[in-house]
Amino acid sequence: MAAVTLSNVVKRFGVYEIIHGANIDIADGEFVVFVGPSGCGKSTLLRMVAGLEDISGGEIAIGGKVMNDVEAAERGIAMVFQSYALYPHMTVEQNLSFGLRMNGNPKADTERRVKRAAEILCIDELMQRRPKQLSGGQRQRVAIGRAIVREPQVFLFDEPLSNLDAELRVQMRVEISRLHKELGVTMIYVTHDQTEAMTLADRIVVLKAGNVEQIGAPLDLYDDPANRFVAGFIGSPKMNFLAAKVVEAGNGSATVELVNHASARLKKSLQTTPPAVGADVVLGVRPEHFFDAGQGDCDIAVKADVAEHLGSVSYVYADAGDTELIIEREASRQRASGDHLVVSIKAGKALLFDTKGARIR
Amino acid sequence: MRHQNATAYRFLAPYLLIFSVFWVWPIISSFLISFQATRTVPWRWAPTFNWGRLIGDPAFFNALKNTLLILVIQVPVMISLAIVMAVLLNSPLLKARGLYRFAFFAPVVVGEVAYSAVFRLMFNLNFGIINKLLNSVGLPSIDWFSNVTPAMALIMIAVTWRWAGYNAIILLAGLQSIPDDVYEAATLDRVSKVKQFFYITLPLLKPIIVFCAVLSIIGTMQLFTEPFLITERGGPGGGTETLGLLLYRQGFRSLNFGYASAVAYTMAGLAIAITLVQLWLTKEPK
Repeated sequence: MAAVTLSNVVKRFGVYEIIHGANIDIADGEFVVFVGPSGCGKSTLLRMVAGLEDISGGEIAIGGKVMNDVEAAERGIAMVFQSYALYPHMTVEQNLSFGLRMNGNPKADTERRVKRAAEILCIDELMQRRPKQLSGGQRQRVAIGRAIVREPQVFLFDEPLSNLDAELRVQMRVEISRLHKELGVTMIYVTHDQTEAMTLADRIVVLKAGNVEQIGAPLDLYDDPANRFVAGFIGSPKMNFLAAKVVEAGNGSATVELVNHASARLKKSLQTTPPAVGADVVLGVRPEHFFDAGQGDCDIAVKADVAEHLGSVSYVYADAGDTELIIEREASRQRASGDHLVVSIKAGKALLFDTKGARIR
Repeated sequence: MRHQNATAYRFLAPYLLIFSVFWVWPIISSFLISFQATRTVPWRWAPTFNWGRLIGDPAFFNALKNTLLILVIQVPVMISLAIVMAVLLNSPLLKARGLYRFAFFAPVVVGEVAYSAVFRLMFNLNFGIINKLLNSVGLPSIDWFSNVTPAMALIMIAVTWRWAGYNAIILLAGLQSIPDDVYEAATLDRVSKVKQFFYITLPLLKPIIVFCAVLSIIGTMQLFTEPFLITERGGPGGGTETLGLLLYRQGFRSLNFGYASAVAYTMAGLAIAITLVQLWLTKEPK
């Protein structure tokens, strides 16, 4: 087990800088998820930790030892690849034991480690099969097993569930979570799926275009995002953003008026200097933070376009003039296209952002 | 459905007709000819005439021995060389890869007569560059065309030069189909590059290697150009005569088509037998 520290890590491909100085501290035994949209650099960052990509600048330390010039094989890490990367010509047993056999590990110890991994992942029955004879979920288990037998200090997962169907993904997510509890090893997990990030992580690192946008516990990011990108990326369905204008700025508060909803005004308490009167701002409201008319601090009228009924809740996609809103309703099974409804926003549940996306606290 | 099939066969008919006349019929005809004495007029049915001669013909066994010798030595050497070339071509460190790929493939498109003429010049006893190079490092000149062993070596060198690059290009396609992350996984498993080659690359490349080997075996069984043009019709004294050359000599110089057909069927039978044995030996476990 080991802590992992990334200090001002930079990655360049030719003249293009892909990672712009990432600083991340991962504690010993912690489960950290790198999340972000495609092309944000999360897999590159993981591969730099693994030693599969060179580091253009900064330092990566594992267990307190700087690893910049240490070969991937010597870093004490194991990695589970998106495509599983199993050796197709070997049986499951040979896949699990290959690395150990090639390094002259004692036979008895190799057998012990393989047996233990097989037991943990319930793949004892599959040991003589080849990868092509396994289902996606079974292949993924073998890939994880191959990482387990190495008894690494750090586990790295590169979008390991993205090739599985939705049901299997949920099942494997639970298994990976259980595995982390059982092994207690530091794990770094890359995904573009914020649901995976929210359910698995002790802490989430949100990345965008090679920059670390925010690091924090899943619910901290959900409740208290640092900026509009994090607010929009974390949470499903995503947060709604409504254009607004500051109409009053007092000591420790600002009153904003929603554009296209002239009578809708909201007074928001602030810890910092409020923006000037007339400034454009953006109000962020999560789908579940729309209340029945009159129950919040201001009401807005919208027109329902589509309603998705999921059983326990429904999501109403509504036209709010300048934007489309997603509204969560608990008892709206009869809500249909074209219905007019009035929803209410509470100031305490709404977040304020400036036009550049920075949070106004 | 039956109507649709009939229409499809009407469209296929011109091809099937040409295929039958120029492909299927000659195969059947030559098989029948192998059971006839063809040096009499008219040809007469004599089932054991050619096949009986084949079993006791020293020239046939000489050609068979030469062909198998080339097959046993040249094919493995060429395939090994092709694998090395393919691995080098696949290296990310290699610059101007397209140029090398062209250079390796070029011998196949060079005219057979031209390349044979150049080889004859290069290996000439008196002014050939190969003997000059041997002399420059203190080795004596070799008379490549007058002694059997050097002549056989020359044939093998020429065939290897001509076909190694071709096989390397096929193997390169196989190499490029092996996913990078398999090697990355092996690297993280602390498996050295050499062991990765022997335990990952070679096993995964096996189907392509077998394909190249089968092509090469078939090609070697039919070997004709090199012993005909470079060592002058299988010289010295039949020392490099192959089955292909024997077939030519019997069929088109002695006009003994019955015996030539028997030789042709023996060549085809051997190629099929060797290929089947090879496929069986390299069969993937289920």
